[in-house]
Amino acid sequence: MHYRNLIISKLEQMGCRVGQSLSERFTRDSPRFGSELDIIKFICKEFWVGTFKKQVDNLRTNHLGVYVILDSRFKLLTHMSAGDQYLEAAPKYLAYTCGLVRGALASFGINSVVTAEVSSMPSCKMSV
Amino acid sequence: MTIYNMYIFDRNGTCLFYQEWQRNKSSGMPQEEEFKLMYGLIFSIKSFVSRMSPVDFKDGFTNFNTNFYKLHFFEPPSGLKFVLNTSLNVESLRESLQYTYNSIYVEYVVKNPLCSLNAPIKSELFKEKLDTYIRGLPAF
Repeated sequence: MHYRNLIISKLEQMGCRVGQSLSERFTRDSPRFGSELDIIKFICKEFWVGTFKKQVDNLRTNHLGVYVILDSRFKLLTHMSAGDQYLEAAPKYLAYTCGLVRGALASFGINSVVTAEVSSMPSCKMSV
Repeated sequence: MTIYNMYIFDRNGTCLFYQEWQRNKSSGMPQEEEFKLMYGLIFSIKSFVSRMSPVDFKDGFTNFNTNFYKLHFFEPPSGLKFVLNTSLNVESLRESLQYTYNSIYVEYVVKNPLCSLNAPIKSELFKEKLDTYIRGLPAF
């Protein structure tokens, strides 16, 4: 179990590094962001389009700094299963993406914790 | 017009996938044996056809008829073998088999890291997509 966590955190770190550079690249011509919400919106729109060629399907927030990003056809999972099969393997394929989001946020000066959960296969929920 | 059953073999003769839609008569042998026999047949016909051909040709073996059914065969360059049995009045299903390979096998087996490539296919998604596609064919 310990070994598995190590792998996941390693993947997450790699994603984080990539997320930082991607966000630099995607924001090259955009104006400065006014608020935290703008930054999250940027993640859901341009950043998601840039990495997964689609926008996030749903974004929710409790206005206390917790955001929930919902993608109902998450690119990395659509080829795997459309139900409960392979559910236990899903976290491994999400760690990198969590890192991407965290890295992108970090480059705008927001420290965050990103976690992902999958309840049914191609859809995926990320909490920031 | 009916589609009876389908086999997918890998290059080494393992049966990756088998499904039947309408099959009234069973072969009367264990399924494992039947797969081996089928693969052996395909293998022999392929070499027979390529040796006996009086001219150079590109496609090789594509299908054969008996009095009661027609067997369609498709082999992509990677050596996978798709075999589909239908009733006699069905036109060539080459394109359909090609589609099965391109858009179903590659999408849902090759692009799924959890599917091992030389063992029978377990992915439910693959089975579901294939079944829907075959049922949707005009020949079904």
